[in-house]
Amino acid sequence: MATKLFIDGAWVEAENGETFPTFAPSTGEQIDEVAKASRGDAIKAVEAARRAFDEGPWPRLSGAERAAKLNRVAEIITERSAEISEIEARDGGGTIKKAMFADIPGAAGTFQYFAGCAETEPDEFDHGESPFPPAKSVIRREPIGVCSQIVPWNFPFIMASWKIAPAIAAGNTVVLKPASFTSLSAVEMVKACEEAEIPPGVVNLITGPGGSAGEELASHPLVDKVAFTGSTEVGRRIMQLASGTVKKVTLELGGKSANIVLDDADLDLAAAGVLFGTFFHNGQVCESGTRALVHADIYDEFVGMLVERAAKIVIGDPLDMATDLGPLVAPAQVDTVERYVKLGLDEGAKLLCGGSNPAGLAEGLDSTAYFSPTIFEADNSMRIAQEEIFGPVLCVIKINSDEEAVAVANDSIYGLGGGVWSTDADRAHSVASQMRTGTVWINDYHMLSPQQPFGGYKQSGIGRELSEIGYNEYRQVKHVWRNTATNRDGYMHFAALSGEI
Amino acid sequence: MKVTGTPAAARTVERARRDRRGALVFTIGTGCCESTAPFLYEDFWPGPDQEVVGEVGGVSVYAPAYLRALYPGDDGVVVDVEEDLPAESMSIETEFGCRFVLREPGGAKLAGQDVLECEVDPAGPDDVPATVSARRDRGPQQLPESLRRVRMR
Repeated sequence: MATKLFIDGAWVEAENGETFPTFAPSTGEQIDEVAKASRGDAIKAVEAARRAFDEGPWPRLSGAERAAKLNRVAEIITERSAEISEIEARDGGGTIKKAMFADIPGAAGTFQYFAGCAETEPDEFDHGESPFPPAKSVIRREPIGVCSQIVPWNFPFIMASWKIAPAIAAGNTVVLKPASFTSLSAVEMVKACEEAEIPPGVVNLITGPGGSAGEELASHPLVDKVAFTGSTEVGRRIMQLASGTVKKVTLELGGKSANIVLDDADLDLAAAGVLFGTFFHNGQVCESGTRALVHADIYDEFVGMLVERAAKIVIGDPLDMATDLGPLVAPAQVDTVERYVKLGLDEGAKLLCGGSNPAGLAEGLDSTAYFSPTIFEADNSMRIAQEEIFGPVLCVIKINSDEEAVAVANDSIYGLGGGVWSTDADRAHSVASQMRTGTVWINDYHMLSPQQPFGGYKQSGIGRELSEIGYNEYRQVKHVWRNTATNRDGYMHFAALSGEI
Repeated sequence: MKVTGTPAAARTVERARRDRRGALVFTIGTGCCESTAPFLYEDFWPGPDQEVVGEVGGVSVYAPAYLRALYPGDDGVVVDVEEDLPAESMSIETEFGCRFVLREPGGAKLAGQDVLECEVDPAGPDDVPATVSARRDRGPQQLPESLRRVRMR
């Protein structure tokens, strides 16, 4: 049975009755049909969200009341963790291990964290000493309104939580559109919101074409904010669509992040970190550290460790807990990776390992959907080092100094993630502070949590998600000037109006 | 950088021309889920560093300076269309059941690849948004000499 849209508290078919199939990438098998929303469906969802914001109870509840609902969503997600994990792994191709240990608890934790924000972040506070006492300034933080939220296919469930949770915690209403071919877990998240008795119209779900339904969500005049995670060029498109009514926009876009390994690094730890930083979820992660900048003095030894360990990564059935890497999201993504491997060879990069579909997969798995972890020795000017491949491809680049490492790391249109590996904390911090990027992990990688802000410099995005900074991306700032004085003697502007000067 | 398109891409553009309300523009963009790929949008405003690098099915293809530098020369990049669908880039994917992809430079040399050197659509000048026409009227956007060596990083 096909999944439905969720509009104004009701599960409904697309108005034209259309659906599209969704597949399990590991086997190529169709696992469900998904409602294919039209532009009209998107408009209905936006209108429902508008009514819920303008007339409904949600923005008018106390933060504590909203927090209770968000905490209930987190409980429901946790109760259904095993079921949702399997849906996520089957539909998106990520491993069950990633779903059970990262995606599902991460999403539940995100709802809990923003429930905490709704309870504890003040909605109103005095703003410092007044220049004109007894008048005083009060700052109010108010919800923005209707938020369209569009999420990508690489982390469908946790990305949906990063969008929905802060928005509704702050009192906004939302229309969520997952990437078409990974819609199933978003349906489960919206079911959890329904079960938690979040009022109708507060959370709406649209599945289907970005070119029509998605475009409507980004441009409709009743929408106040658009939040998007995905490609840089699509982010630009969304900014243009949103500009018509000057919507607030937050974007989390591409990356080509540098993982810098200095000559005093703990090589054992760094090798594990560089491999994890690149190959986690087959490199289909926007902040992946796909450029390893390795100091010349340790280069040969370190690269040898990378190649030796890459061969030990377990590739297989995503539903097997022993599997490190499942398939890519679809065979077409493998085609993209193959194109870049060929480009890399044409450009003169040296292929150290991988470069093809893995051999020896278990029967029933579609090897054309898989790709072996691939490591190139490359130059930073090459296309494979400049363009985001979004696959399991690491470019190792030799550097001779901290200064060169910083220069090469910053030689990218992106600035999303990055890593520095060193046993000298001050040296690592100095390098990190010179990297033009939104997150730097020192002796670590991919460590994201609801408490820490995440977002990009340069063409990697606008605004931040998560933390109190991400929460405030969903709140307006209102300045209220309160003056209790009974006269305005000495006020130059009043004097001018009265004709006294 | 010079971009051409396959007959399949041109046919898909024709379909989009019938289905869409606005004027069509291809933009080649980068990053995240779609990697580097062509996107077909209507009433799209090319950025200040974007220039026309070809035509597919009578629709202009724009690329930013950054990509033009990475794909120098005239051996070309080919826009093709395929049915496998990991992407949803607000272009055509879920709607048409296919997506535009880039084939590698020297696409004409690919085995069995039928590459179409697309004719410029006679209706071309009327087929682009006013914003694009305005950009064309201004001519190529040149950086001042003093800034040409500076990388906007």
